[in-house]
Amino acid sequence: MAKSYQEINEKIARGEAVVVTAEEVIGIVKERGVKEAADYVDVVTTATFGPMCSSGAFLNFGHSDPPIRMGEISMNGVDAYGGLAAVDTYLGATQPSADKGIEYGGAHVIHDLIAGKEVHLVAKSQGTDCYPRTELDTWVKLEDLNEAYLFNPRNVYQNYNAAINGSSQRLYTYMGILQPNMGNITYSTAGELSPLLNDPLLKTIGMGTRIFFGGAQGHVSWMGTQFNTACPRDEKGYPQTPGATLALIGNMKEMDPKYIRGAVYEGYGTSMFVGVGIPIPILNEEIMAFVAVENKDLYTNVIDYSVPKKAKPVLKKVSYAELRSGSVDINGKNIRTSPLSSLKMAREIAEELNNWIKKGEFFLQEPIQSFPMGNSLKGLEIKEGESR
Amino acid sequence: MTKKILLSFPQKAAGQPMAMELIKTYHLDFNILKAFIDDNIKGTLLLEIKGEEADIEAGIVYLRQHQIGVRDIESVVEVDPDKCVSCGACTAVCAVGALEMTADWSLIHHDDKCLECMLCVKACPMRAIHALI
Ligand code: SF4
Ligand code: SF4
Repeated sequence: MAKSYQEINEKIARGEAVVVTAEEVIGIVKERGVKEAADYVDVVTTATFGPMCSSGAFLNFGHSDPPIRMGEISMNGVDAYGGLAAVDTYLGATQPSADKGIEYGGAHVIHDLIAGKEVHLVAKSQGTDCYPRTELDTWVKLEDLNEAYLFNPRNVYQNYNAAINGSSQRLYTYMGILQPNMGNITYSTAGELSPLLNDPLLKTIGMGTRIFFGGAQGHVSWMGTQFNTACPRDEKGYPQTPGATLALIGNMKEMDPKYIRGAVYEGYGTSMFVGVGIPIPILNEEIMAFVAVENKDLYTNVIDYSVPKKAKPVLKKVSYAELRSGSVDINGKNIRTSPLSSLKMAREIAEELNNWIKKGEFFLQEPIQSFPMGNSLKGLEIKEGESR
Repeated sequence: MTKKILLSFPQKAAGQPMAMELIKTYHLDFNILKAFIDDNIKGTLLLEIKGEEADIEAGIVYLRQHQIGVRDIESVVEVDPDKCVSCGACTAVCAVGALEMTADWSLIHHDDKCLECMLCVKACPMRAIHALI
């Protein structure tokens, strides 16, 4: 029997909703079958906690007296964007600091703000008739700011490559350190717990979907950048390469520093670990069948990151169950595998979201617009010549 | 037997004479793995000592009697549990399996297996792995 968002929300309000994680639901579907499980379960919680570079924060500092139209802005030595209105800025997660470089970047400033720490704000300006101040040097806390919200243009990738290094030199990448001569494989996914792998055709996740975002209740605001719903899929519809992505928005003042952390990838740069949980309403049997997916049925490609081209060679197609087993056989050689995103923290987030829903603190938001399927990626062509 | 110990001493207590004493009185061999002085407040010495177990024990008692802090060290890398998120990135570079994911996907550090290659220190995105030397 099909259910509506409203019916599920009413059950949540009455404290009667059956909420389980995307790992727990697998056993339930095996035991009861898809039809009965779809009647029984109301919401399945999914989650992930991993590095998501395309992240950052919009901040409004409020006006000083006399006021300034901030042009060059830095926070704890990390440059923030000065091309918005007088005291608005965007602080990008991967921006390194002037003094510590990638060891302390935008993501670390965002974490420190959420942790309630004071941050050193320095700004400069040409000075204008309406904004006479030309310099500013002060300390700010999150609670002092007017608005502070994360707006991450590309998070929660639906599937991602596994990485290997076929060269004879160690590689330092955003996929971690890759040992030479195919010494190891790294992968980054929550697999069967991952949000977008549980809703491969985006039947329930769209613009407006309410989510767990860094410990706050946030929303899906748009399709993420490099949104690739035209990716290759298996016969059931699960992506086999990087697919959909989401743009997320949420109030930093309600976030928990545990779920938003600065990260450093040696020889590569700063990134941000972002904790995201997405509830999937079990509206019908089709959605139930999708969330019952297991690691053994989810596939990705092992890609040689030593090839300095956009199209890198695929060495093998592997399931997440194989990657999780600790080693993968490639050309007769057993190669160690290591995760890069934290399944332990993802489980904690799925549980936390589960508790919010069971306690009636979190309700489902039906998307106000679905995202397009069949959206493909464009590359960037390098054109020769003068201005045209 | 061989043992690694981390000594901390007030700056005025000299490390070197103590060490000479260790060799003479307790017949211990030692290697200074690292020595550093922290803001002129206290000094730290990481030693590898070799000798009979009873002599090592007696030597440690001797050091403690002279207001020198002594800590047994299994491995020169330490994982800070407050910073570690159990992502697993460090396990990618630990070829000997001293860093491993447990069945519930927490990180575990078997410090007896550590070869002290120090690769994990740079591999950790949370900078949760700290090297003592
Ligand atoms: S890389 Fe760092 S944060 Fe990740 S599991 Fe290892 S010690 Fe923990
Ligand atoms: S120092 Fe080397 S051997 Fe020791 S835990 Fe780190 S990577 Fe493993």
